[in-house]
Amino acid sequence: MAALLGSVARAAESDSLPTPAQLKGLSLEELMDVKVTLASRQAEELSRSASSIQVITRDEIRRAGIFTLPEALRLASNLQVARIDARDWAITARGQNASTANKLLVMIDGRSVYTPLYAGVFWDAQDVLIDNIDHIEVISGPAGALWGANAVNGVINIVTRPSEEMDGGYATAAAGTFMRDLEAVRAGGKFAQDLHVYAWSRRFRHYPSDLPDGSNAPDAWGLSQSGFRSDWTPNPRDRLTVIGSLYQGRASQPTTSQTQPSQVAVGQIDMDGENLEARWSQGNGEPAGIEIQAYFDRTARLIPSTFQEDLRTWDLEFQHRFPAGDRNAITWGAGYRLSQDDVTNSAVLQFRPAYRDLHDLNLFAQDQIEVWPDRVRFTLGARLQRTAYSGLETMPSARMAWTPDSRNTLWAAVSRAVRAPSRIDVDLYVPSQPQAGLPLSVEGGPDMGSEYLTAYEAGWRTRMGAMMSMALSSFYNRYTDLRILEAASDSVAVIANGADQDVYGLEADAGWQPTPWWQCRAGATWLKKDFRSQAGHAQIPVPGISGEDPDAQYSLRSSLDLRWGFTASVWLRYVSDLGSPAVPYYSAAGLGLGWAWRNLEVTLSGQDLSERRHQEFQDGSRTAMEIPSSASARVAARF
Amino acid sequence: MPALLSAILALSGPAQAGPDKAHRVQAVFLFNFAQFVDWPDSAFHGPKDPLVVGILGDDPFEDFLDEVVKGESVRDRPIVVKRFKRVEDIQECHVLFIGANEASLLDGRLGSLKERKILTVGESRDFLAQGGMIRFVEEDGKVRFKINLDAVQEADLSVSSKLLKVAQVTMTGRE
Repeated sequence: MAALLGSVARAAESDSLPTPAQLKGLSLEELMDVKVTLASRQAEELSRSASSIQVITRDEIRRAGIFTLPEALRLASNLQVARIDARDWAITARGQNASTANKLLVMIDGRSVYTPLYAGVFWDAQDVLIDNIDHIEVISGPAGALWGANAVNGVINIVTRPSEEMDGGYATAAAGTFMRDLEAVRAGGKFAQDLHVYAWSRRFRHYPSDLPDGSNAPDAWGLSQSGFRSDWTPNPRDRLTVIGSLYQGRASQPTTSQTQPSQVAVGQIDMDGENLEARWSQGNGEPAGIEIQAYFDRTARLIPSTFQEDLRTWDLEFQHRFPAGDRNAITWGAGYRLSQDDVTNSAVLQFRPAYRDLHDLNLFAQDQIEVWPDRVRFTLGARLQRTAYSGLETMPSARMAWTPDSRNTLWAAVSRAVRAPSRIDVDLYVPSQPQAGLPLSVEGGPDMGSEYLTAYEAGWRTRMGAMMSMALSSFYNRYTDLRILEAASDSVAVIANGADQDVYGLEADAGWQPTPWWQCRAGATWLKKDFRSQAGHAQIPVPGISGEDPDAQYSLRSSLDLRWGFTASVWLRYVSDLGSPAVPYYSAAGLGLGWAWRNLEVTLSGQDLSERRHQEFQDGSRTAMEIPSSASARVAARF
Repeated sequence: MPALLSAILALSGPAQAGPDKAHRVQAVFLFNFAQFVDWPDSAFHGPKDPLVVGILGDDPFEDFLDEVVKGESVRDRPIVVKRFKRVEDIQECHVLFIGANEASLLDGRLGSLKERKILTVGESRDFLAQGGMIRFVEEDGKVRFKINLDAVQEADLSVSSKLLKVAQVTMTGRE
């Protein structure tokens, strides 16, 4: 009996579902003990949710030969993930991608990892040990009503595994031709009744990308990280989680020499930081519950002779959810964030004032109304936020989900989202350098206000048969007051709000499992943009100001579970060309072969195999960088 | 707030082979109900007649329930699974699972099923209050069930103590 329960318990941990034989062999008491929550209630909730959501599972990440977080994000077909070079990525959803893409909220375990410097993410500093990831939640579309300013085009939350799953040890080592090497260890255990802790350490180094002529770009980099997580669960409903990590990294960066623009010199970036987060949640799995979260995050970045920043963030948030009557589920909360941004100015790049305290306060509420129980649900929500630069902003949202039967959900939503100004919009000062081709000085505008989005969305989610499911989402986004550069005088260019843009498109995602050992996933996104300057602005045209976005993206993944512990996966993606600056279309094919035996795992993978090297993104006037095809091998052991 | 986001998201991707875990466990419970509940002889036409497990409305079990009862029998009666679109279609039936979408439309007709000695099982919020007999709930992430003993006894059915021991028993249907 114990062995059978063990296999069901293992099925509970893995993603595979128990068979009739496995469950029939259990006694009544054992049957009552089988954990089902994560697979059922949330599966039902996912199918009824009124947004475009994709979840990247641990299993999918494992099969895809992935070492870093941005690579894992490629698995969500509703994201635009463009690799600029060995270290930099341009990641967003639904358009307006840039290396400083500022419309996506990214969190790791609820801790925001975007920088208030430009409201984007430094992807070379934000990473996790891939095996620690439980799943990644990706919402495309505005989620400002819940998550605030910056959740304009989407929200990503990377969720790490709870401590009680991590008893024992784990060690992994990998080497490759593009990613250079990775070593990581992790150990966890039970320290007291209901208290589990695990600690991990990871070192990662990466080779440089290619210049168009095939020689090495000077952008090699490396990152070392260590962290821990502890969970105390005095009862199944309550949990205290403490998570912390610190990191240190160094990267080379190609710089265009000021005096000889044709020569590419090497600059060096140093980065380091630490963070600590505590979260108390009460009432998990129950209709009523409370959550309190606090975190501290310090991140520092040094680019010699150019820029140095030390940013400290203090964040406190509270959330309460409770049922009201039979048909209403109310969630409300409040939060405060203090960002202390300390910049050391240089001759070429300045922020005025160099030091600033940015205060951010928010209040939100949401009501999920079962208008027709189990069939029609309305979700009404709004968030009030007092941002550091733009005063009070309101982000309302109305969503509806109709579930005519257990296989189909149709949903529609109208929302307003806000991208509040960041330091770069207001405090930036770049002095003119006529000899380097920069005739005007560039300044942030003190009147720079928020960018606004009114979004109309609709979607359909369906399950066809037991093995196939599909989701289609359409959106029509109207952006106003987008950021532009305009001439304030003969010698000064100013950052201001001065453009509107309509973006509309479609996202499709389908999953198919023709046999229990063969699964496929396909995704596609299409979008069209219409960028218009507002009257009364002397706009200076900047390539890529409206975002660098492909009209179409396609992806296909197929994975087989073979005999003797082997898995084989193949993946393909196609991204159409980017307009301005021009980047041609590209396709990337990958292969992965995995072997698991007892507590050992070996993976071999090849990435970007369809072209010798290809460019995915052009970041302004920086040197074009290309991603070479590559191979890697990884070994991991658990004990 | 990760819990908020997690509360509206699933862990598995869109492709799922068959019913989710909770419904698999429920299917095996239905099989157990067939074994641990006694029907009077009048509920069957003959001594070899099969014990029918019926599903009214949306079927969340797909093939899984059929797999579970395949080749099984209770007191020499084979167990079969039948699916019904409307209450009127139900002929001989002993255990009837009523999908969430159907239950809200049944209202008051659960009573007529009682007279036919059918053990009604459901998931919806008001199931027991409307006269249903067993309701599946999820507690602590596990499948539990509540039995309205009054309704069961009014239908001339008797539940084995094995089942009563693990069930949450209520007498009047009020939870």
